[in-house]
Amino acid sequence: MNTKLIAGMSLALTMAACASVPLTNAALENARNAVRTAEADPNVSKYAALDLHTARTELDAAEAAAVARDERGIAQPAYLATQTAHLAQLKASTKANDARVAAGKADRDQIQLNARTNEVNGALLARDQAAQRADNATVARDQATQQTAALQAELDALKAKPTDRGLVLTLGDVLFDSGRAELNPGAYRNLDQLVQFLTLHAERRVEIDGYTDSVGTDSFNLDLSQRRADSVKSVLVSRGIDSARIASRGYGKDFGVASNADSGGRQLNRRVEIVIGGVDGAAVVSRSRS
Amino acid sequence: MDKTTSNLTRIAFALVATAFCVAAQARDHVAEDKIAVAKAAIEHAEQAGAPEAAPVEMASARDKLARAEKANAKHDAKPAEAWADQANIDALVAEATASQVRSSKAANEFDASLRTLRQEASRPTQPAQ
Repeated sequence: MNTKLIAGMSLALTMAACASVPLTNAALENARNAVRTAEADPNVSKYAALDLHTARTELDAAEAAAVARDERGIAQPAYLATQTAHLAQLKASTKANDARVAAGKADRDQIQLNARTNEVNGALLARDQAAQRADNATVARDQATQQTAALQAELDALKAKPTDRGLVLTLGDVLFDSGRAELNPGAYRNLDQLVQFLTLHAERRVEIDGYTDSVGTDSFNLDLSQRRADSVKSVLVSRGIDSARIASRGYGKDFGVASNADSGGRQLNRRVEIVIGGVDGAAVVSRSRS
Repeated sequence: MDKTTSNLTRIAFALVATAFCVAAQARDHVAEDKIAVAKAAIEHAEQAGAPEAAPVEMASARDKLARAEKANAKHDAKPAEAWADQANIDALVAEATASQVRSSKAANEFDASLRTLRQEASRPTQPAQ
């Protein structure tokens, strides 16, 4: 009796064991792998969730058939699960590619916009710079014009005349007593404007040239004309003009400006000329005696 | 009484027979519907360039469609449905393969063009004079 019972129990257990072990085959293995791979792909859950769900449902049906040991019932759902999982991955990959391109297009538009903006900014900057240069040039020209005008006004006040050697200011011999080199007190006032001009235009150099009429010996006239030029120089130096800027020359009776035949002409020839050099600061070119 | 009972039995039998016929026809309709769906999927895939991108899947889909039609002709509804379902999914996979290949190519080409554009943009521009 015991033996019968044990035999019956073991048979029942064997049958139970057989029933509890699900069938498995290659088709089911494929389906499991395919669904597992699709589930691990983040793009699939993002872009193809519905197909993934279908694949999972088919796999579940295949697993159920395996549990029920229905070998013929496994193949169809397993195949559909495998293919639907592939379909989900393909669709997800396609949508991910499309999304990448769409995002890239925004980038591309931004890059193109930036490039265009840079171009425009560059053009605007170039235009502004050109305008600024033009403005600067205008300002410089205006300043030069103003300076020229101011200089002209000053020179007009000195009654200077333009010559090849520079601007020439002539002081008549009434500044000196006859045969003497000392300036009359009135001469100082006349030199004030020159001192002011030279103070304002520190870059300019001057040459002070003394001249006489033809009366007397050449050596006396040369000496007198030199001393008169020196007198004017010492006045300018005493008023604060750097002596290095001032040259003085005596030319005697040479380079007369009028005839020595009459007293009026001789008076014009007795003179001191102040030659004002250029703005470049170069020394005034002395006259060469003929 | 007996006559009535036998009449009722006849009516019931007729109803049951009709129901069977309707059920059988319904099964055939499901198979036919699935065959139509598979056919449409195959045609759609063919137009989407699937024969070039996934020739194996396409051939499989056509073969399975033929099997489904054959089974359906023999009123073998179950196998007809199964083959039609497989033909349909194969055609869908074939078409999705074609789309994926296309999108992948387009994305790679786009990436390349974007790289070129970035290189051009990062190059210092000549200061305008």
